[in-house]
Amino acid sequence: MSDAPNATTWKLPPTLITRVDLARLVREVEAVDSELEAQKVRSQGQEAYRLPVMSRGLSDFTELNAIDLTNDQLRMATKEQLRALKDKAPVMHLTFAVEAEPEVLQTLVAWIRENAHPQGLLSVGLQPSLVGGVYVRTPNHIHDFSLRTILQTKRDVLVKALEAIR
Amino acid sequence: MMTLILVTAIGVAIVIGVVLLVVALRHRPGTDKKKANTADQAYNDAAIEEVSHLFNEEFREELRNRGRLRFEKIINENAMFLKQDLDMTIAQVNEQLKTEIGGKLEKEVDNYGKAMKDAQQLALDALQRSVTAVETQRAELAEVFKKDLEAREAALLKAFEDNLAKIVEYYLLQALSDQLDLRAQLPMIIKQLEQNKQAIMEDMRL
Repeated sequence: MSDAPNATTWKLPPTLITRVDLARLVREVEAVDSELEAQKVRSQGQEAYRLPVMSRGLSDFTELNAIDLTNDQLRMATKEQLRALKDKAPVMHLTFAVEAEPEVLQTLVAWIRENAHPQGLLSVGLQPSLVGGVYVRTPNHIHDFSLRTILQTKRDVLVKALEAIR
Repeated sequence: MMTLILVTAIGVAIVIGVVLLVVALRHRPGTDKKKANTADQAYNDAAIEEVSHLFNEEFREELRNRGRLRFEKIINENAMFLKQDLDMTIAQVNEQLKTEIGGKLEKEVDNYGKAMKDAQQLALDALQRSVTAVETQRAELAEVFKKDLEAREAALLKAFEDNLAKIVEYYLLQALSDQLDLRAQLPMIIKQLEQNKQAIMEDMRL
C-alpha cells in the first residue's frame, strides 16, 4: 500500500460520472486529508487515524482501487493523482432529449469505461429537439444517434412507404 | 249661263244657214247675167225681209227656250250617263285598284315573307355559327381548364409528397418528444455505441 498509486489503472466507480463528480471527489479527498492531518497534529502521532464519514462515491473509489487513505503518503499521492485526473480524464459529451436518470448514466459510463477508456467521464446535456436517442461528442468526433437525425436520414424510406400506400 | 251660250250658238248657226242659202241662190247659173242679178237682188231682199219676219223676237225667244230645254235635257242625260260611266269607272277602278293593290300587296307580302324567311335563316345560321363557336371555345376552355387542373393537381401532389415526409417527421417529433423514455432507449443507444465502438475508443484514448 505504500507504493505510489498508478492513476492509469484506477477504476472509477459507476457513481462517479462527470467531471463535477470527480472534482467533488478531489475536494472530499482533500477534506479527508485535512481532517487526518489535524488528527495527526492533535494526537502528535500517538493515536491511530479515525477516518471521517465519507461519501458513497469516495468509499466506492477507495474500495474499488484498494486505497488506504490513512496512509499519509498514499493519500497525498492519491490527492495529486486525482487532481491530475480531473484535468486529463477524457470526457464524452452526451446530449439527450430528456433528463437522464442516474441509472442510465451509470450504465453508459460503465460501457465507456469498459470499452473506450477506464477513466472516461461523461458530460450530460439536454436538447429536447433531439426527440430521442443521444447526441455523442467525443474529443474529436460527433456521433448523432438522435431520433431526429434518424428520421431525417431515413426520410426516403418513409416516402417510399407512403407511395406504396398511395 | 250655259243655256245662254247654247241659245246664242243656235241662233248664230241659223243666221249662218240663211246667209249661205242666199249666197247659193245668188250664184245660181243663168243665161242673162243682168237679169239674173236683178232677180237675185230681189230674192235677197225678200229673203232678208222674210228672215227678219221669220226670226222675230218671240220666235227667237221660243227657239232659245227650246234650245235651253233641249240643252238642259241633253246636259242632264249626259250628266246621268257621265255619272253612270263615272260610277262604273269608279267601280272598275276600285275593283282594278283592289286587284292591283291586292296583287301587289300579296306580292309584297310574299317578298316580305321571303325576306323574313331569308333573314330568319340568316339569323339561324348566324346563331348556329355562334353556338358552334361557343361550343368550340367551351370545349377548348374545358380542355385548358382540365390540363391546368391536372397540372395543379400534379404540382400539389408532388409538393404534398415532397413535404409529406417532413409532415410525418414533424408530427412524430411533436408527438413523441415528451413520450420517449430514455431507459427504454438505452439498449438502442448501447447498440449504436457498440457499432461505433472503434472510433469512440480511438478518439477517447488520444
